[in-house]
Amino acid sequence: MKNDDLDRELRAHLDFEADEHRERGLNAADAEFAARRALGNVTHIKEDVRAVSPWSVVDDLAQDLRYGLRMLRKHPGFAIVAALTLALGVGATTAIFSVVDAVLLRPLPYADADRLATVWEHVDLPAYKNAQNTPAPGNFRDWREQNSTFVDLAATSTGAWSLTGAGEPARVTVERTTASLFTLLQIEPMLGRIFTPDEDTASPSRVVLLSHALWVDRFGSNASIVGQTIRLNDEPYTVVGVMPRGFHFPDRDDQVWVPLGLTRDQLANHGSHFLRVIGRLKPGVTIAQAQADLETIASRLMKQYPQSNTGVGVSIISLRDYIVGDVRQPLVIMLGVVGFLLLMVCANVGNLLLARASAREREFAVRAAVGASRTRLAAQMLAESALLAFIGGAAGLALAMWGVRALRWLAPASLPRLDDLAINPKVAAFNFIVAIAAGVLCGVMPAWQSRRDDLHDALKDETRGSATHARLRARNLLVVVETALGVVVLVGAGLLLRSFVQLTRVPVGFKSEKLLTFRVALPPARYRTAARRAGFYKQVADRLRALPGVESAAAISFVPLSMQGRTTGLSIEGDASNAAVRFGDFRSVSPGYFGVMSIPLIEGRDVAWTDTQDATLAVVVSQTMARTFWPNQDAVGKRLKLGRLGDKVPWMTVVGVVGDVRQLDLVRTPRPAMYFPALQDEATGDTLRDWVVRTSADPMTIAASVRTVVWAVDSSLPVTRVQTMDDVRSASTASQQFNLLLVGLFGVLALVLAAVGVYGVTAYGVSQRTRELGIRAALGARRGTLLRLVLGHGARLAIAGLALGTLAALALTDFMSTLLFGVGARDPITFAGVCALLLFVSLAASFVPAWRATRVDPASALRA
Amino acid sequence: MAADAERTRTELLQGTLDMLILRTLLFGPAHGHEIARHIQNTTDDVLKLEHGSLYPALHRLERKGWLASKWDTHRERNRECKYYRLTPAGRKQLTAAQSKWKRLQQAIARVMNAPARA
Repeated sequence: MKNDDLDRELRAHLDFEADEHRERGLNAADAEFAARRALGNVTHIKEDVRAVSPWSVVDDLAQDLRYGLRMLRKHPGFAIVAALTLALGVGATTAIFSVVDAVLLRPLPYADADRLATVWEHVDLPAYKNAQNTPAPGNFRDWREQNSTFVDLAATSTGAWSLTGAGEPARVTVERTTASLFTLLQIEPMLGRIFTPDEDTASPSRVVLLSHALWVDRFGSNASIVGQTIRLNDEPYTVVGVMPRGFHFPDRDDQVWVPLGLTRDQLANHGSHFLRVIGRLKPGVTIAQAQADLETIASRLMKQYPQSNTGVGVSIISLRDYIVGDVRQPLVIMLGVVGFLLLMVCANVGNLLLARASAREREFAVRAAVGASRTRLAAQMLAESALLAFIGGAAGLALAMWGVRALRWLAPASLPRLDDLAINPKVAAFNFIVAIAAGVLCGVMPAWQSRRDDLHDALKDETRGSATHARLRARNLLVVVETALGVVVLVGAGLLLRSFVQLTRVPVGFKSEKLLTFRVALPPARYRTAARRAGFYKQVADRLRALPGVESAAAISFVPLSMQGRTTGLSIEGDASNAAVRFGDFRSVSPGYFGVMSIPLIEGRDVAWTDTQDATLAVVVSQTMARTFWPNQDAVGKRLKLGRLGDKVPWMTVVGVVGDVRQLDLVRTPRPAMYFPALQDEATGDTLRDWVVRTSADPMTIAASVRTVVWAVDSSLPVTRVQTMDDVRSASTASQQFNLLLVGLFGVLALVLAAVGVYGVTAYGVSQRTRELGIRAALGARRGTLLRLVLGHGARLAIAGLALGTLAALALTDFMSTLLFGVGARDPITFAGVCALLLFVSLAASFVPAWRATRVDPASALRA
Repeated sequence: MAADAERTRTELLQGTLDMLILRTLLFGPAHGHEIARHIQNTTDDVLKLEHGSLYPALHRLERKGWLASKWDTHRERNRECKYYRLTPAGRKQLTAAQSKWKRLQQAIARVMNAPARA
């Protein structure tokens, strides 16, 4: 509008001036020309007038953006490729950031959460080291009573109980807890009340708190449930309250809370380690101070109870670190990898912009000649890339929303706090900041380049300007950087892939194929006697074996690789130094378990149905246990005790030695392990719950039948976790699979980006050298020579990038060593493989332009 | 650089040109070409006014509130023109500029006309 105004004003001026010239006798054309000469450069005048306006900067920007939009519309191919590439980089970055935000950045949903900390035993013994050992009740009591740094401590213990009388029988996750848990978390119940300190000691206190989700699902959000009785493990519990929505503590799947009810005997026990302890620090107390405080108590306990507490220290971990500590590093690495990918995207789009800049050299030269300053031209180019960035950012946000949905679906259970993973305003703001930063980064190189352009050269001949060479150099540089970034991303992906392959090759110690597993836990109230339990085990085992397609069946307390299981302290007969505290994994098994699992029996015998409470207490030990505790001796016939030598607990005799099994997960090497006969569970307190069934065909074909079998024996028992052992094994590597999937995906993208980058720059190089190639062809250069010439260009760039990238990767891969398994952070095979792959891809990408170079027609190239 | 040299020259002329424009409009509203023609006619041999530099100056003075503008039809030639007229503020500015100019002129004249140094 303002411009129109000025145009009309200047037009009028020219008309008056021309009138005067005509009156002096000039013809119309000459008069117009004279008038124009008198007025001077109209563009300059307009610029000067516009500079007067306070809005000139905004005007300029608006004009640049309008012009930029027009340019993008005129070149949709360029615009779509550039915007999509940016969207991919920005979207991936935002999606990963949203996870980082949800998991690492958002505060924990508890009041003064910084003062909450978990407390563990730090066990450091020759045969057993664990910095996060579950504390024994005796230690918990002494810490709680003697410390001076905590407001209070609370202890919990998780279990899965059956809930009956409210719809179908179901297993619910039960958290047994001291009353102090709720007061120190400062959580109020939504309905009713929390536990009273009396209920901690008045054993058994049959009261229960419901989670909001269970209250909604099972009790129809009925507020009058408070005061009523529900049945847990076949015993009546009075509902005293319902917790607020979203409260699940300490586990994400906690459904009900009941009093922990530690007995006087338990509170004096320092050798049975099964609690989880959390505390609230006094205001102003640091973790280190609390650590020092509890360590003093722990060393006192070591002297007081040498048989149970030797080597048992304390470690305090903030609640935040406990929840997210394991995933922090993988997430930060993931953010780093996606950051590298984003830089590659920037290099690629920058390359596209440089190519566009070459094509527009003449346009810019003309604009400069009619008075646009170089700064204005550079600003114009930056405005165009900012526009591109905005479009890319918007598309990236859409992509990220989709990506977040995919991530939530793919994320392993070990990734905590994903419940409210979403694109919130903070993440959206991050998205656009990244997009704009990326846009500016892409635009900087071409804009800077354009300032150096010799515009006269450009006006004269666009193919031979020195600017073109500078630009080609810039593009070469970008491709080298891009290839280097590609090496870093791909080495990361390659190392994870190699780790994963190593992990799947780990000998687990049993045959997981054609093996079905499911869980049935017996409620203690109804299966109080060993005879009832024996009856149930034998009947289910017999009926399972009778199913068609079933070869054998047995049960164990916790199936391997399920990330669950117990560990206990033990003593062996004849230990000279009474102080040596030993630990071992602890399982109960039914007869035939080792056979079903194909775990080799190395010495002695399997457990048997005849190993009852009245018979000699028997135990089968693992090979590692036999070698560690009885080196160079025959373990069979030796005796051990759960607890201290002086404890009044019975001796158990080793009757057999079996092969080692990866118990908790694939990563941890086998520790000493003990298997107790199922029917001697009064001595161990460990009942069977996980069944394993060896089948002759696909194990899932009998999945439906196993429920029928169990319910034929006892129709009130929930049957859960029906899955193949292969699935269990696969689930145990879920977080590794997730990491590999993400980084692998980024690796593929990196490879594509690198290929596109090399292709772009070699193709451009060929188009710039058409004349030179023509002359060479005319002078008799053979096709092979021309091919080599162009391929050589691509190869040189790739090799420079590979060298740079290898150095960078060597410096960076140490950061991911905790994610690696069975492969070094500088694994030469991975590095060599990645370099070979990238070199091959680069050469393949330059082959098309190279082939085109050999087709250059000398005559037309020279005429051009 | 050429652009820089030009800028210095406008800088020097700026105050003067503004005053000349204000003075020209004291006799009544005029459009750009009329202003240029008037300045050129009255000073002809002495000052060669670049028509191009007139418009930035007009817009600047209008922004400062010393001029007001209005589109109107030129009676003789039936042509739409943008007429500028002096505002009261512009009149005040002209008086101030004029007296400042006179003082400067007198001061310079005194030096130029002074007898030889004592």
